[in-house]
Amino acid sequence: MILPNSRKTLAAAAVLLVLAATPAAWAHHGWGSYDSTALTTLDGTVQSVSFANPHASIQLESQGKTWFIVLAPPSRMTTRGLPDGTLRQGQTVSLDGYVHKGEPAELRAERIRVDGKSVELR
Amino acid sequence: MEHAGTGPGWALALEHSALGETLRQALWLYPAANVLHVLAVVAMVGSIFAFDLRIMGVARSLPLAALARLLLPIAAGGFAVAAVTGFLLFTADATAVWNNPVFVYKLGLIGLGLVNIVVFHLIPWRGVETWNTDLPSPGLAVAGAFVSAAAWAGTATLGRLIAYF
Repeated sequence: MILPNSRKTLAAAAVLLVLAATPAAWAHHGWGSYDSTALTTLDGTVQSVSFANPHASIQLESQGKTWFIVLAPPSRMTTRGLPDGTLRQGQTVSLDGYVHKGEPAELRAERIRVDGKSVELR
Repeated sequence: MEHAGTGPGWALALEHSALGETLRQALWLYPAANVLHVLAVVAMVGSIFAFDLRIMGVARSLPLAALARLLLPIAAGGFAVAAVTGFLLFTADATAVWNNPVFVYKLGLIGLGLVNIVVFHLIPWRGVETWNTDLPSPGLAVAGAFVSAAAWAGTATLGRLIAYF
């Protein structure tokens, strides 16, 4: 009923399927896609705020361009002292983070300084 | 990179639905769905691995049909909870997740796992009375156990990797 080596073939097919996912995936946007060798500091003005799962984000006007800044999940922002409404359009903020390797205007923030306090996001 | 975004119409509609909006805005609903999803996957994959190992020849003194009555409902219940919570997590961020290549491969592995279950129950499992206890399982059943273990381990792995690509 079954070929002697079909077990190996099936196992190999499963492994190949998983490996095949990898090259296409590099192009995308995940935690590993940010250049953590260079911590970048940005000062700027908040253009818009999205306080939403899976992670909050802001658009920041800084260094003559509009950045997409990835923050932390709303639950963590809240427990660390930045509940919904504390980040607002027009606010001046400063943050440290890592720039996306493929998206030069996207930054994953490690901490944000706003209203005289510094909040760790990781 | 704009995240509120581009994708097929159905994914956009899902993301902009009241449910999607609630999942994004409610502080603890998304994390709760996330935790339940993990617990469901743990129950499901753990019981599947135990069943697969028995078919591969581990602990042959345990009757398979009896083991199936314990383990398969746990697996099916885990799958149901994982499917519902997975749908909720997907709804919050549908276009971004749909555009994530890892997710598509994950769906493929779930499909492979489900087809394998159907084939397993339609063919080798029908004759389980003849190899229920203390006997090696037929080759086709063993092959199904390997496909099962690989498909569900792969599904869980890719599920975790969605966040990293």
